[in-house]
Amino acid sequence: MKTNFRKQAICIALLAIVAQGALAQQGQGGSSITRENSFPAIASGKWTGPRTLDGQPDVQGHWSNTIANHNNFTDPQGGIINDPSGRKPKTQRSERAPSRVSDPPDGQVPFQPWAAEKVKEFQTYFNNPIKPEYIEPLARCAPGGVIKSFYWHGYEIRQFPGYVVILFNSGTRIIPLTDKPHLPDNIKLWMGDSRGRWEGNTLVVDVRNNNGKALFGRSGEFHGPNAHIVERFIFDNSNKRFNYVATITDPETYTRPFTVTIPARRWTADDKTNGWHFETRLANIGGKDKVLERDERICTENNGGFGFVATSSGRR
Amino acid sequence: MSEYKHPRELGQTPAQDEPAPSRRRALRSLLGIASIPALSAAGPAQAVAATASAGKIPRLNGKPDFSGIWQTLSEADYDLEPHGNRSDAPPGPGVVEGNVIPYLPDALEKRKRNFAQRDTLDPTIKGWTPGVPRLAYYPAPFQIFQRKEDITIVPQFGHAVRTIWTNNSRHPDGDPKEYWLGDSRGKWEGDTLLVDVVDFNDETWLDRAGNHHSTALHVIERWKFIDPNTIDYSATIEDPKVFSRPWTINVILYRRREKNFQLIEDYRFTIPYDEHYPPKKS
Repeated sequence: MKTNFRKQAICIALLAIVAQGALAQQGQGGSSITRENSFPAIASGKWTGPRTLDGQPDVQGHWSNTIANHNNFTDPQGGIINDPSGRKPKTQRSERAPSRVSDPPDGQVPFQPWAAEKVKEFQTYFNNPIKPEYIEPLARCAPGGVIKSFYWHGYEIRQFPGYVVILFNSGTRIIPLTDKPHLPDNIKLWMGDSRGRWEGNTLVVDVRNNNGKALFGRSGEFHGPNAHIVERFIFDNSNKRFNYVATITDPETYTRPFTVTIPARRWTADDKTNGWHFETRLANIGGKDKVLERDERICTENNGGFGFVATSSGRR
Repeated sequence: MSEYKHPRELGQTPAQDEPAPSRRRALRSLLGIASIPALSAAGPAQAVAATASAGKIPRLNGKPDFSGIWQTLSEADYDLEPHGNRSDAPPGPGVVEGNVIPYLPDALEKRKRNFAQRDTLDPTIKGWTPGVPRLAYYPAPFQIFQRKEDITIVPQFGHAVRTIWTNNSRHPDGDPKEYWLGDSRGKWEGDTLLVDVVDFNDETWLDRAGNHHSTALHVIERWKFIDPNTIDYSATIEDPKVFSRPWTINVILYRRREKNFQLIEDYRFTIPYDEHYPPKKS
């Protein structure tokens, strides 16, 4: 019985691979799930996939969220709030992806009244930024911060003995797999100070020293400079998806801790590159192997429209 | 400098007035084919390394493992050339072989203008990336992460992460690209990591003193352990639009060994506006 079940499971897995191959052949490059409006839960548990030399689950490679960018935090596919061009979503809320706030159940950030007022103010002036604080900091090439980085372009995970390193479009996370103490509290960072550990298929990261400056997106939600974030990267044993589940605790800003959930999928050399989720090129290398390379990410110096102005823009 | 020979002198590359793609092919051959005898010749620094306890250096897949946090103690970033003290720099003996950077006349004038305005024009003043090779001797730590196929360098200062590909890949084909950090292809020659870097823009400076380069910059780096906590780093710099001949710098990199030492991000280009975030309770 057991054997039969295994055979069945293998058949299903093969079918899934074939189906995905067919998608790729249609020129979709897997893009059919780059704006999915629902996504599977992934349970924490054992890791049965490949491992790195030092025994970590090997999740290296290129990843990106499957829902939407940072236009709108709680209605990710609902477009920019107060869009000056008058565009309104063409779909009902129920047809769009759920809020990135997975708890509380109403999908809203449990702001204290003063903080809710600040978010409303940001949304009012976002398209008419009469003060510097109404400019979304990514527009100035600021680092994306701990939360927003996971829905701002694709990113690459590289693993090394004792470390997980994530290269984002704007900012870098070095996650040491250690329980050594965090940096002193008075040091505040855009990308926080991380301490990680693996629990089966789940990378658990304790993040402190967050400066809170990055905001969560163009809808202006935020955490304060004393927020404590516990992240759980729950990897599916297919090694093709993970769900990012982060709990943010900040009694100065919120009435209770809340949870953010962001689904992500892997991008591989079988996918077509595109200008947002998957910005890579193939290495100039002989043989059949397709080796992906990631270009350098330079925002500040190249950004002509905001903040800083370089004397020329580089050719790519 | 005497041991360096430009690929052209070795008969591996077309004449000087050839277009850029030919230059790039020459560089590919430089990296792809066996070693250049001149580059392999042991200089003084290598002699030092040879006498060290070579067997004790950390290794990964049989190659030297440079993983760790490193920093120069030199005054190179203030001025690569020998210099007395200045209001904005400690004195330093210089790190250029032969002491003097061999500028072409117009380029030397530009260096002088840069020097006079270094307080505002040095890109690192604005928090921009120091680029290559300056990242190696900018006075802040950087962390090396190593895999068989590549070496990832995360500098504390600035935000640009550098990858040195060590997978036998070549520079990209086609027109030259313009990267802030260049395109780095490394290979192992014994225990020395030899890195060929091309495809630069001309926005970075080589130091605070205004030493500069064009998009024709070509850097050949050599990374080699002196002992498990010390790296001998050298870079040969050529740029026919700016220098009359290739020239070489040497600095030593030390492992940061303080207890629990770690990088602390330094995105200081955000300082002019970061006070506006996050919203504050009034």
